[in-house]
Amino acid sequence: MIWTGTPRTKGLARLFEARRLLSLILVGAFVWSLTGVGWKDGILHTGGGDAIKDFSLALFPPELSPGFLRLALAASWQTVVHAVAGITLAIIVGVPLGIIASGSLGNPGRTRLAVAVGVRFLLAFMRSIHELVWAVLFVAAFGLSSMAVVLAIAIPYAGILGRIYSELLNDVPEGPLDGLRSAGASPTEVLFYGRMPMVLTDLLSYSFYRFECAIRAAAIMSFVGIRGLGFEIQLSLSDLMFSEVWTLLLFLFGLVLLVDYWSTRVRRSLGS
Amino acid sequence: MSILRDTLERANDGISPAQPLVDGRSLSKSFGSLVALAPLDLAIGAGERVALAGPSGSGKSTLLYILAGLIQPDDGQLFLDSKPVTDLQPGRQLSESVGLIQQQLDLVAQLPVVQNVLAGRLGQWSLWRSLTSLFSARERNSALDALSRLGIADKIDEPTSQLSGGEQQRVAIARLMLQAPKITLADEPVSSLDPARADEILGLLSALATDTGGALIASLHSPDLIQAHFTRVIGLREGVIQFDIPARELTAPVLEALYDLDRDSQN
Repeated sequence: MIWTGTPRTKGLARLFEARRLLSLILVGAFVWSLTGVGWKDGILHTGGGDAIKDFSLALFPPELSPGFLRLALAASWQTVVHAVAGITLAIIVGVPLGIIASGSLGNPGRTRLAVAVGVRFLLAFMRSIHELVWAVLFVAAFGLSSMAVVLAIAIPYAGILGRIYSELLNDVPEGPLDGLRSAGASPTEVLFYGRMPMVLTDLLSYSFYRFECAIRAAAIMSFVGIRGLGFEIQLSLSDLMFSEVWTLLLFLFGLVLLVDYWSTRVRRSLGS
Repeated sequence: MSILRDTLERANDGISPAQPLVDGRSLSKSFGSLVALAPLDLAIGAGERVALAGPSGSGKSTLLYILAGLIQPDDGQLFLDSKPVTDLQPGRQLSESVGLIQQQLDLVAQLPVVQNVLAGRLGQWSLWRSLTSLFSARERNSALDALSRLGIADKIDEPTSQLSGGEQQRVAIARLMLQAPKITLADEPVSSLDPARADEILGLLSALATDTGGALIASLHSPDLIQAHFTRVIGLREGVIQFDIPARELTAPVLEALYDLDRDSQN
């Protein structure tokens, strides 16, 4: 057979070229951005090198006086409380929204599709606004209260969780679901007997990962004036007390490690 | 068992002899340009145990999935138990007529065995009943009963993923026992089992079909197993029925011709 390019391979070649073109544009943008850096004046401003040195050396040792440790602990507690409340609310809202958005609840049809699409839009709206922006809005509404932080974390996180949950639920192998269908399961029963148990561990581990993110988010709520680890970091920084900053950063690091450890324990107890 | 038999006899009385349990008329199915089933007629009566033989891609699985109501044929009509399959409400009615054991077993590995077995009741249960049963198993005794008959009662509370292939096969059969459909379909039920176990599993499946007075339709390749457990054998190739004979008339040359790789290139 004489080789003649079929339209199909031509189409593929074109796609490949388009992708290469996109990569070239991205690399070009990066190279161009380097020209925006003021290389001649030096990357560090005057005294910047000394500041980095001071900051690094302050780690040896960090501030460990009992009084400051107590303060760091209290700040950590406050941050954890905000994060736990925020992520809990996000999960409570995200699970049902994610299930609805996945379109696996109820009988197939136009209504189910319309509701699923509507909820997907709602989820996209919730997560397209950053938690700090929500925080600014809620601080304006509720003042500097924990309620403002919790809602500011819960809304975008519910949007993110709902989206991931719906993708996980849609992304399961069809075989076991067909098995349930042939045994007479309705779509909703397929959801609870098939999809849910199949994604449960992934769902949990992603939620734990988001809990870590919620701790970080709760910590930086100091930008809108809410107390917690970030608030103390900001205070210590403005006093140039770098060893205190290190102590607080280590507490933040410790919190993330704790969540990681907890998540591993929970997943192991589920036998995965 | 006698109540079941009475019911079945009464049910059988209602069926006119002209309408077999499975009645497919010019069923066809294509996936894109690939013809999985050429228009094909199929009639299978109560009490028959039919083996489907044929090379991979011959349309065996497609046919079984169509009979199970899991995929729609492109064309043709299918009557199960003398009702058009399109009239059977998915869920309860369909699952009373027909049940399927899939090639990969396809149990929900993350659920404990008891829940996978009780899933056979989902067609009968209300939504509320099935959801609460996930937390506290309903009709646990019937699951236990089925598992005991299959010799794995001790596995009832284990995670299904921990079971061996042969044990999972039994769980799938136990689910089918609870579902108790008139027509039992099995897609390569013994492809991953050693000969002794294959023999045992097919024995269980045919006993199940005999008990319920329904029909068994299974795809498999071994002539010995076909002759030992089936009454009829249908050879499929490229979606076309090549032969449809009593199982005892199946000979090695007939089967070899069906699987002959070179046959197409000679055409």
